[in-house]
Amino acid sequence: MLKRFETLITAGAAYLLMAGIAVAGTPHAAAPGGIKNPAHEWNIVWEEILWDLWIVGGIFAIVAIWLLVKFRAKSPDQVGSAPPLNLDKALAWALVPAALFMADDFLLAAKGWSLWNLQRTVPANAMEVKVTGNQWYFEYDYGNGVTDTDLTVPVGRPVVLRMTSNDVIHSFGLTEYRVKEDIMPGRITHIWFYPDKPVETAVVCVEFCGNSHSQMTNAVKAVPQADFDAWMAKKLEKKKPAAAAQPAAPAAAEPAKTQTP
Amino acid sequence: MTTATSTDFHDKSGSTLKEWIFTTDHKRVGVLYLVGAIAAFIVAGIMALGIRLEQMSPGESGLINYFVLDFAKTMPTGTAYNVALYFHGAAMILAFLIPALTGFAANYLVPLMIGAPDVAFPRINALSLWLFWAGILVALMTFFVTDKPDIMWTGYPPYSVTTTANTALYVFTVHLIGFSSILGAVNFLVTIIYMRAPGMGWDQMNIFVWTTFAAFMIQIVFVPVLASAVTLLLFDKYMGTGFFDPTRGGDVLLYQNLFWFYSHPAVYVIFLPAVGLLFDIIATQARNHVFNYKACVYGGIIGILAITGEVWIHHLYIAGMPDWLRIGMMVSTLLISVPVGLLLISLWGTMYKGAIHYNVSMWYAVVCLFLILVGGLTGIPLAITSMTVHLSETSFVHAHFHFIMGLMATFAVFSAVYHWFPKITGRSADSAIAKWALWIKVIGTQVTFWPLFIIGVQGMPRRYWDYAMFPQFETYHTIATAGAFLIAIGVILMVGGWVWSAFYGPKTDSNPWKSKSIEWTHAESPPGPGNFPKPVAVDPYWTPYNYIEWDHDKY
Amino acid sequence: MRIGGRYIQALIAMAIVIAAAVPPAANAQYFRRPVSSFDTNVMLIDEKAFLGTKIDPATVLIDQNGKEFLWGDTLGKPVILVLSYYTCDGTCSVINTNLANLLKDVSAVRPGEDYRIITLSFDRHDKLASTSAFKTHLALTGPLAEHWTFATFKTEADLKSQTEKIGFKFFWSPEDRVFLHPGAFLFFSPDSRLIRVLYQDEVAGRDVELAVLDAKQGQFRPREVINFMISLCYSYSYHDGKYVMNIPLFVGFGALGAGLVTLFGSMLIYKRSARLGDKNNVEAV
Repeated sequence: MLKRFETLITAGAAYLLMAGIAVAGTPHAAAPGGIKNPAHEWNIVWEEILWDLWIVGGIFAIVAIWLLVKFRAKSPDQVGSAPPLNLDKALAWALVPAALFMADDFLLAAKGWSLWNLQRTVPANAMEVKVTGNQWYFEYDYGNGVTDTDLTVPVGRPVVLRMTSNDVIHSFGLTEYRVKEDIMPGRITHIWFYPDKPVETAVVCVEFCGNSHSQMTNAVKAVPQADFDAWMAKKLEKKKPAAAAQPAAPAAAEPAKTQTP
Repeated sequence: MTTATSTDFHDKSGSTLKEWIFTTDHKRVGVLYLVGAIAAFIVAGIMALGIRLEQMSPGESGLINYFVLDFAKTMPTGTAYNVALYFHGAAMILAFLIPALTGFAANYLVPLMIGAPDVAFPRINALSLWLFWAGILVALMTFFVTDKPDIMWTGYPPYSVTTTANTALYVFTVHLIGFSSILGAVNFLVTIIYMRAPGMGWDQMNIFVWTTFAAFMIQIVFVPVLASAVTLLLFDKYMGTGFFDPTRGGDVLLYQNLFWFYSHPAVYVIFLPAVGLLFDIIATQARNHVFNYKACVYGGIIGILAITGEVWIHHLYIAGMPDWLRIGMMVSTLLISVPVGLLLISLWGTMYKGAIHYNVSMWYAVVCLFLILVGGLTGIPLAITSMTVHLSETSFVHAHFHFIMGLMATFAVFSAVYHWFPKITGRSADSAIAKWALWIKVIGTQVTFWPLFIIGVQGMPRRYWDYAMFPQFETYHTIATAGAFLIAIGVILMVGGWVWSAFYGPKTDSNPWKSKSIEWTHAESPPGPGNFPKPVAVDPYWTPYNYIEWDHDKY
Repeated sequence: MRIGGRYIQALIAMAIVIAAAVPPAANAQYFRRPVSSFDTNVMLIDEKAFLGTKIDPATVLIDQNGKEFLWGDTLGKPVILVLSYYTCDGTCSVINTNLANLLKDVSAVRPGEDYRIITLSFDRHDKLASTSAFKTHLALTGPLAEHWTFATFKTEADLKSQTEKIGFKFFWSPEDRVFLHPGAFLFFSPDSRLIRVLYQDEVAGRDVELAVLDAKQGQFRPREVINFMISLCYSYSYHDGKYVMNIPLFVGFGALGAGLVTLFGSMLIYKRSARLGDKNNVEAV
């Protein structure tokens, strides 16, 4: 009986230890003023998880090789000689590993969750761009009348994308910024990313959407603020004559959904 | 027992074509499942070769059209590629893995392992088989219609509704194979619960019987959900309803929820019986008992059964679900590692103090141990929501599920074929060529899928035939394509070896592995009608793994 | 094989039940009133283009008591926004009265606790006097009076830019001496994004309730589990401008139930017959 108790204590102790590591290992909030880049954090957590995988996988693999070599049959008639487990050992072999696996799960969950909170908390000063998915291209609307089929953003300012689709489900995959989210008709989804250096990368559609799915891509250019302003000014310049040519808001007959008192 | 045995319906001693087609004998039903499953495996495998050839370099090779029998090249490359991808996925899962494990292995082995003369409802069993074959034929029609389905095995709306391609073939394939599965589930659950040999308690069953039991529990509860989802898809496409059309009040995400509510548990319909086969093969070849049997069964198998219905959101991590749901299901998904970990510890422990007899079947099982590790561990980052935000829909996912399903489960099936080959045919399939085939496949699979892990982390999207935006991945894709052809060589050698051995292989005695399991100890090889010359009964201390009689008072 | 026969019968019966249940469900989705074809859509808010847009949280507003506050102060809970005007030049904007009537039917969510209501004037001539007079004129009672704010934009520039931002169009018709504007209720998420637009003459209290639940964007507290379930049972139809039953969900649950019934039914049927069989065979054992 005491022995069974010991098992539980061992399991509990191992569990608390791992939980402690989990809490200690949780990344802290960003330094005041600075924006934490989720893409960098992703890389850090990924490395930590890889270590976890290599260690667990390595232990299992080494034990497997040892078992396969050590317990190979020496004669054709040899049979195994492992005695059945008694209740204490059987419980120990179930509870201790279960506690260890669970502790590792919660360690990983804690790491994953804190990164997730970063990924889902859009900084207040983020620039907003509307993305519309179509078969098979993305359309960007900067909210000031400027639209484009490539995404150009200034370096040093977080960008939040407000996304929807005109036809089927697409997905906005930004490899460089370690983020993606589906784009669906009738729904709005958001992601944000932080372009911290000038770079030109590609966005890819990563939800299967038909024939040209693998050609649904365009450039994502992070450019210095000055270049961005110049680019935007040029776009607005082009926009102007077109806007002037547009007729004024129509003074149509009273629509049905318009209320008259 | 009031149950009829197979002998009531048919004399199975004959071997004319008619007697095979109209058979109700679980062993012949099992073999016919295997034949259908391997046929589907080969066609779907050829599709995989086409896919790999197309992916070998960015831009179009144009070869993929020939693979889907579009010789006139009426389809654009992208669509032809999507058709091949659709068929590869749908056929490998619905027509190969599930039928090979819950069709062939369950049919052939379960009644023999529990000492039953046949399944509970042999004629319903035959109906299951016919529905499965009908499903395979409907799936094969893909190649002979002009509007070939190009909707992936997931068939997400709105694309599957708005595409001009044929969605009905997909839906009917799911219907037929799904109905076959439900009937099979009823049959096997009843068989396992009520037709065990007198004296056989639940804790005396083979692990494979337990895993089959769990797999069919999942099938019977969850398959109707998938069937209803695809049926509504059919109405949307051909009857103009708007169940999944957001402009008409449909919920665009609900199909994905219903689909994965079944299809995640379906992973365990494949995983559990595959691991069950490994348990029985390794325990037999190591002449050892299963380590910590109760933890394995009640912690591992039943544990998975308990968690499996609460994790499907991890397939929708980037589909805009509420944040708390994504986090909640991240935790439940990670917790799957507990029952799976218990299974692995039992599997590893089964070798401890064993006497491992190496033959081709055991070697396949050994390879599976490492495939489980890679496939299982790479699932961990995919369980974490914030990691999946980058990894989802990349080659990393593709490589992950190929390791666990495409390689581990498939190798487990192959291992089982070799292990029970003497039982099925009375001959051995073990040969130097069989071992060559294995190692060629081992090298081929590693060469194919490790590059996909690497480029997956670097952002290579899934289901892409053109990757002009990522030219740096071409080398990896080329290596992977070479690996795929190595696998093909291995498969040809292996299947050829089976066919040859079935007719000309060296004859074996009825229990070549000196196993203690009932199918070896009480039945001839191959077993006759009614399976057992004398009714089987077991004593309270019997287990299928009792290679040494232990002092029962002490243990 | 008696049991096998009975089993097949049960399966066929089940198939018939399912087959009978599906066509009505299908009809409910399919046979809708036709789309009206007149081109007054210019006055509607183009939801596709404007869903998800924000009113700037820093926008300064003035309430009926003359107190200045920020739009951002009202956030943290879903907000129902009504854009209206307060000058009763013989007639008054009835949209507020309509909303008050609809809210009487809303019971799952409560004003103040679960959501806030704000009416903002788009008439630049509305000042404090007309604002408070209007609230008095409306004669609200109970929690509605307490949690319904009537306000004006502090600056005309904000009035113009913020209504434009969410796609709200209005103009003065000199002949009719009224404002023409969409009779729309705008639902904002706790972080100020436009989630849903409902039009007053098409909806019932249930739609307003569901839109408030929608505006929560899935952020339900544990005790709101019932509300979460309710929100799952309906989905928004852009075609009808209101919420409709989410039929596939019920079909899915029905199918899950059918699976469970098959599982336990097959065990029960077999168990009973097996027990009978055991009695007959008792000598043999």
